[in-house]
Amino acid sequence: MFNDIRCHRRPTRTRREFVRDAFCGFGGLALASLLEQEQARAGVVDPLAPKRPHREAKARSVIFLFMAGGPSHLETFDPKPLLNRLEGQSRPKEFGEAKYQFVQSNAKLLGTRRTFRKYGQSGIEVSDLFPETARCIDDIAVIRSCHGDMVVHSAAQYELFTGRTVPGFPSMGSWVLYGLGSESDSLPAYVVMPDPKGALEAGQPMYMHGFLPAVYQPTMFRPGERPVLNLSLPEGVSNRERTRTLQLIRELNQATLDPSDQEFAARINAYDLAFKMQTEAPEVLDLSREPQETLDLYGVGKEPTHDYGRRCLLARKLVENGVRFVCVVSGGGAGNMQWDAHGDIEENHVRKAAETDRPIAGLLKDLKRRGLLDSTLVLWGGEFGRSPEAESGKGRDHHNLGFTMWMAGGGVKGGQVVGATDAIGLRAIEQPYHFRDVHTTVLHQLGLDQHKLTYPHLGRDERLTFVEGKVIQEIV
Amino acid sequence: MCGPLRICQRVRALSAHSRLALAFLLLSAGPDAWGGDGGLSDNDRFYREKIEPRLKLECFRCHSAEAPKLRGGLRLDSRAAMIEGGDTGPALVPGKPAESLLVQALRHQGGLSMPPKKPPLDEAIIADFEAWIRMGAPAPDGAPNAVAVATVSDEARHHWSFQPVRTVTPPSVRNSDWVRTPIDAFVLSKLEERHWQPAPAASRIEWIRRVSFDLTGLPPAPEEVDAFVSDASPAAFERVVDRLLDSPHYGERWGQHWLDLVRFAETEGYEYDRHIPEAWRYRDYVVRSLNDDKPFDRFVLEQLAGDEIAPDDLECRTASTFHRLGPVRRNAGNPDIALSRNEVLTERTDILGTTFLGLSVGCARCHNHKLEPIAQKDYYRLQAFVAATEEQNIVLAPEHVQKAWEEKAQKIKNEMQRLKKEAKLAKGAAKDELESQIEVLEDQLDSSLPTIPAVRNDFSKRTPIHVLKRGVWENKGELVGPRPPGILVPEDQPELAVDVADPRTRLARWLTSPDHPLTARVIVNRIWQQHFGSGLVKTLNDFGTKGDRPSHPELLDWLAKNLVQNGWHFKPIHRLLVLSSTYRQSSRSPSADEYSGKDPENRLHWRFSPRRLEAEEIRDAMLVASGRMNFKIGGPSVMVPVEKDLVSALYKPSQWNIARNADEYNRRSIYLIAKRNLRLPFMETFDAPALLSSCARRESSTHAPQALEMLNGRLSNEQADAFAARLERETGGSSQSFVDRAFRIALGRPPTDQESALALTFLREGSRKEFALAVFNLNGFLYVQ
Repeated sequence: MFNDIRCHRRPTRTRREFVRDAFCGFGGLALASLLEQEQARAGVVDPLAPKRPHREAKARSVIFLFMAGGPSHLETFDPKPLLNRLEGQSRPKEFGEAKYQFVQSNAKLLGTRRTFRKYGQSGIEVSDLFPETARCIDDIAVIRSCHGDMVVHSAAQYELFTGRTVPGFPSMGSWVLYGLGSESDSLPAYVVMPDPKGALEAGQPMYMHGFLPAVYQPTMFRPGERPVLNLSLPEGVSNRERTRTLQLIRELNQATLDPSDQEFAARINAYDLAFKMQTEAPEVLDLSREPQETLDLYGVGKEPTHDYGRRCLLARKLVENGVRFVCVVSGGGAGNMQWDAHGDIEENHVRKAAETDRPIAGLLKDLKRRGLLDSTLVLWGGEFGRSPEAESGKGRDHHNLGFTMWMAGGGVKGGQVVGATDAIGLRAIEQPYHFRDVHTTVLHQLGLDQHKLTYPHLGRDERLTFVEGKVIQEIV
Repeated sequence: MCGPLRICQRVRALSAHSRLALAFLLLSAGPDAWGGDGGLSDNDRFYREKIEPRLKLECFRCHSAEAPKLRGGLRLDSRAAMIEGGDTGPALVPGKPAESLLVQALRHQGGLSMPPKKPPLDEAIIADFEAWIRMGAPAPDGAPNAVAVATVSDEARHHWSFQPVRTVTPPSVRNSDWVRTPIDAFVLSKLEERHWQPAPAASRIEWIRRVSFDLTGLPPAPEEVDAFVSDASPAAFERVVDRLLDSPHYGERWGQHWLDLVRFAETEGYEYDRHIPEAWRYRDYVVRSLNDDKPFDRFVLEQLAGDEIAPDDLECRTASTFHRLGPVRRNAGNPDIALSRNEVLTERTDILGTTFLGLSVGCARCHNHKLEPIAQKDYYRLQAFVAATEEQNIVLAPEHVQKAWEEKAQKIKNEMQRLKKEAKLAKGAAKDELESQIEVLEDQLDSSLPTIPAVRNDFSKRTPIHVLKRGVWENKGELVGPRPPGILVPEDQPELAVDVADPRTRLARWLTSPDHPLTARVIVNRIWQQHFGSGLVKTLNDFGTKGDRPSHPELLDWLAKNLVQNGWHFKPIHRLLVLSSTYRQSSRSPSADEYSGKDPENRLHWRFSPRRLEAEEIRDAMLVASGRMNFKIGGPSVMVPVEKDLVSALYKPSQWNIARNADEYNRRSIYLIAKRNLRLPFMETFDAPALLSSCARRESSTHAPQALEMLNGRLSNEQADAFAARLERETGGSSQSFVDRAFRIALGRPPTDQESALALTFLREGSRKEFALAVFNLNGFLYVQ
């Protein structure tokens, strides 16, 4: 009588609740009972156990290559010859209005110094900033008509990650983890690898789980050889010693265990999992035994690609081992250390592209040759693009009305361009896709339905897409 | 503008909040606005013949009152609904087919394509729609150009929570011996209806640990346990409860619950995460108020209107910090002052509904609440109460000190101005150097004088409150004045004048009037929830028609009445609850197998629900066990040393100023700074709230990173070291007494023989520190049973 039948409610206090959550709507009775048996054997209720998606999934994992600060579409994937011809002039009226953060209405248009060339079978134009990534273009679906609602970093970053322009809502990584659980019990299931150079405007809240239970929070990787906090033993404690301690904890807990209490059993199991993570994860996180050829592929060991290459390689190893969602951030610290090229678009983008081009291409090629690209959705983009108008002479301001993101793998049909901005790259005019549509598409590829993936909070069943999004049909 | 000082703030207007989507069931008056066909004009007939059938065929499945799941928040089953539109805006602009999203969607333009996943409808059909719209979209539902008006339906008016609180007497029960306080009669009566037995009483040891954590967030000392266990007097239980309620730690524990609810934080969030000057004063105010058992009506009044009722009373002004607690986005670049103001007002309005009314009024910001009888207009009428509320920092220093500070600050500002000019021209390393100098200067501006971050009314700056179409601040509709929501007052009750004196006092007085149906129910339900793990109404912040129904409605009313009649004091309510037989039950019931199948959530209270300690309790309990706890009460918040990369992840790392005195690191958790952009990993891992929205009930999750935190984390290992050292000191050399004392301190009880044997075996080889750490990792430590 007190059972509230709803999908994906809170993480499980009872096994019954758990099984209902996990299989709600599928009628997967056999599976449910199978799971129940498995759980009963292990004596656990694990909110991170793999859950069936709402429908057949094409992708199993997501790698989000987050270009923080807002990379220019005009210098990268969206050539605008007219913009070069109009350089130095005011924006012609017919293109309409735009609000920027800093640039005033009297600003002049700025052409690009980059040259574009056609690549691959598809012949998609890519700028000379990304010669390596361009070679993978036939696997890439370029979405030139993305748009968002906000033109300042923090709010736009929140919208990109959580679907809301205010902090406090769960990120897509947390939603995905909540929806699908984890396929690895020795690795954190949702990983964010920030740029070691520094912070971003929206701060930690953009990656976080918001009002979802803490179990769905990201694991923030630290720079250096030991990326996961608390994974290594405290100084002075040997492995053998700690194994005994764990044994003692288990025995003492079991001595007073009431067999009917699932919660206590779950906690005992959490210690087993912690131990497994402690022993198995370091191996995955260790890049020292990677073959030289692989390191070269990602540009590891060479500047300026070493850092981003390392993190991309780590991302590949993580998804290979069942990690659900990995975010690899390029850009951190003061604006010009991000893609936030207010002062000099050339200087900034040449540098940022050089850091990331080879690692990204390496990641795509490596995923592909390992047969992982089919099941791994790779998403590239920032919180907005950049203005057709110049800022301080050679820079570009933030710009949210039309910009480029791309997707590859995970069932996405590569080698195509979707949508278009107008002739100066100001506004998405053909097939405009909002962040919510990107979110919907990511969920869709993972077999999740934006309407079913909900969680009750303050009287509402919240979801990732605040306003209903649509699947980018052209690419799925 | 790209250096570390680059100030990036929003200018763009379109808030996503303006597009609230609620694709769920509708609660509204009957959808069938059209009656018979008699007397239709030609125009209307056009609608009836050409438009309506097509809508029914192609659209109503997703866009009408009958839709099993409403899509895009859009209804097309009345003209008014089409004009009101859905998530992406009005679907119909009469007379202007090109501007009507309906037509764009039919033509698959502008990113819309309807009906979905199908080719566009025949051109002739679309042409009919265009023709109809060009005519002005006449339809026989007689709602010319109106935005849908929500009137409160009878059904909603009769919803239980909007009814007056009833006077009830506790029911009679068969097993009247079990009734210790009146609440037991209500609980037992429900159990007896089912012929269920309450669980046997918990042991005294279990009970005192339970009630100590519950009322103070701290474990009982072994000596307190012993004294209680050997106290044969009938008043033994009451003595413990009175001691705990009189303890200054009561306010720290229950203050935290209140701070969760009002999403207390000491910084503004967003990229700058600016520190609100001395927001800790509000935290101390809350702790003090609870310790003093301040009547709840007074507590509400002071927070809502402290500045109005007693402008010269610093305590009341501190209470008004309540209005400063929401996240605030600061503007720079091309500022949009009206937008920022709208955001602040939104924060201030939403929290009123959640905290005091237990209603999700925030949903009505963009449209009439689709789940609750709250009109959009009601939302803005509520907002009108805070429209003149402005920030005011009250500096607590003599005038000459203030003056001296102002002069110093001016000098700093001038210097910054100068450096900024230089930086504009500089390049490369020189520029970076200048910018870091500016940053250092800016930090000096922060270190100001003792301050209360208060509010006051400034009617000259009062924001006119309009009903905002779809919540977008630029879409200004009707002007409204202050008035409570229509579901709670007579529908024709007039608004107050927009410049009425002391508007928030009026709101507070209305909220705390003895016959208000919600305020008392909402707060006693929260108290119940903290004691028993879940509320009598499970949805603590949602008492509306879509919220949970109370499991024990009479009990809820009895408690609410009791609270009000006894002067709104919490402490007598706590006594009623924790001294009850209901609360005294064991967490283990001999009938668990049977009852848990039928009532898995224990809503009938057939046993006591065990709970995991909250993040703060775990940390505090480790500090108590280790003997390191610094019990100092109140004062500025403490920043403790954390991993370097957490600090460097701040936009302004210089904000993290570690306490100079290391003793401060060991303060109770409530005194650690509540910084929105840097939450301690330990706290996060154990479900401390995100500080961004109201948290009525902590989650209690169980996962491996918690185990890793407790096993390998710095905090637990440091405290385990100190715990082991303390045990050594207090017990001499014997392993047996070491183990015995460890259990008594950390678990509140001696070890069983089996536990002793296991521990002693371990200690033959294992280190005492590892043993101490193991104790922190026991369920017996982490849970109260």
